[in-house]
Amino acid sequence: MNTSKTTQKILYKLAVLAGLLPSVCLTVVYAQTEAGKSGEDIVNTICATCHVSGVAGAPKTDQREDWAARLEQGDDVLIEHAISGFNAMPARGGDMSLTDEEVRRAVVYMLALVRSIDSAGDAVVTEENTATSQADVAQPEPKLVAQSETQQAQPAEQSTAPAVLQPEPTQADTKQQAKVAAVNTFNRLMKPASQRNPAPSKDGIHDPANDATNLLQPPAEAFDTLPKGQSGNYIDWVKALQDGHIAPWFDLADANAQPVIMDLNIIREVKGSMPDVVYPHKQHTEWLDCSNCHPAIFTPKKGDNQISMAAILLGEKCGVCHGKVAFPVSDCRRCHARKKDKIKTAEGE
Amino acid sequence: MSNNNRLLLTVTGMLLIIGFGHSIARAEYGDVVINNYSDAAGMRPVIFPHWFHRVRFRCKVCHADLGFDFKAGGNDINMLKIIDGEYCGACHDGQTAWSVENCDLCHSAKPNTPTQVHESTLQKLLSPAKANQ
Repeated sequence: MNTSKTTQKILYKLAVLAGLLPSVCLTVVYAQTEAGKSGEDIVNTICATCHVSGVAGAPKTDQREDWAARLEQGDDVLIEHAISGFNAMPARGGDMSLTDEEVRRAVVYMLALVRSIDSAGDAVVTEENTATSQADVAQPEPKLVAQSETQQAQPAEQSTAPAVLQPEPTQADTKQQAKVAAVNTFNRLMKPASQRNPAPSKDGIHDPANDATNLLQPPAEAFDTLPKGQSGNYIDWVKALQDGHIAPWFDLADANAQPVIMDLNIIREVKGSMPDVVYPHKQHTEWLDCSNCHPAIFTPKKGDNQISMAAILLGEKCGVCHGKVAFPVSDCRRCHARKKDKIKTAEGE
Repeated sequence: MSNNNRLLLTVTGMLLIIGFGHSIARAEYGDVVINNYSDAAGMRPVIFPHWFHRVRFRCKVCHADLGFDFKAGGNDINMLKIIDGEYCGACHDGQTAWSVENCDLCHSAKPNTPTQVHESTLQKLLSPAKANQ
């Protein structure tokens, strides 16, 4: 009797274990493939640089009202913005070594922190926020594996939801914006938005007396649907290409030819106080052929290339394109994207 | 003051100049005016809009395959070459894009506009005339 009971117990335990086994295995496999820094680590070491003190208008982690309009956009949009960059928010918080998954963890953790602020009442979040992922991250210290599984279980469309560029502002937000706008009426770039992307007949170089000038497409008309940038054409061309807003051919003879992408970041340590430069081969090989830069502009050899901002401003090195066609040097942080005290993954020249 | 700080100041100063230069030029960023022969031939100079072309073709197509150097006015382009299918003529042949009969669509700049990349750092740092040197 006793032995049979013991056997039963053992069998029962085995059955339970067997039932758990697949999920345990999955968790282990998932944890292995998605290894990396935890969201908490990233928030404390990288995000905190701006999001604690509110540098460059960054929403502070302890100020719930900073986040009201942002939370309404949904977690997926915020994750997407954190990965790709948005306005003053640099892509990957400026640390290009972070993977998409790590950035996602960091955003999830930070949002959980923010949501925990008003857990004692004073709810700012409205009923509209019904995204399932939000319920899952309501605890201030989210468990990473559990989240990863939830994320996987969600339909794929959610993560590719189109970015909301102009979210509907709340009333308090509008008031705040109006207040700030009044102070900022003077545009430090000396080029108000109304003067950007002028039509050919008004751009100062096309001859308005030429009838054909009026047949040309005004840039603003073409840019209407493209993701906005901060300078140059005021278009984020890299994002436009990545997100499929444009599909420029790679080969004149073959519309379907695909570029050979090289995914290698080169870190260039900078002597001054500026963050180090992260040069992504990936975004460059999307557009260009190796021969465009190597070896005429850059010797493909570590330590061989002397690059200075002075040379770039004069149209050499990076300045062959940046400052003429690619985003100009006023977007400092798009290249100087790596804080000095971070662990390095790839040593550049 | 360290050398680094001095460099930073120089760069900041240059950026300020760039900022103030904005009020003069208003053309679309990356528009290239090419005036190697146009004025002398009694034609308006050519305006090449980078933005329009990069929507349709990656840089590699023109700058690697068709052999355009990264230099405004640095490619010795003339109508004979275009009609022969070189440079612009690779597409502007009436098949992929409008052909050479539509002179004024490309030759559309104000007469005497010098060769330069508009809204470029160089154009705003130096005088437009020097931007081409």
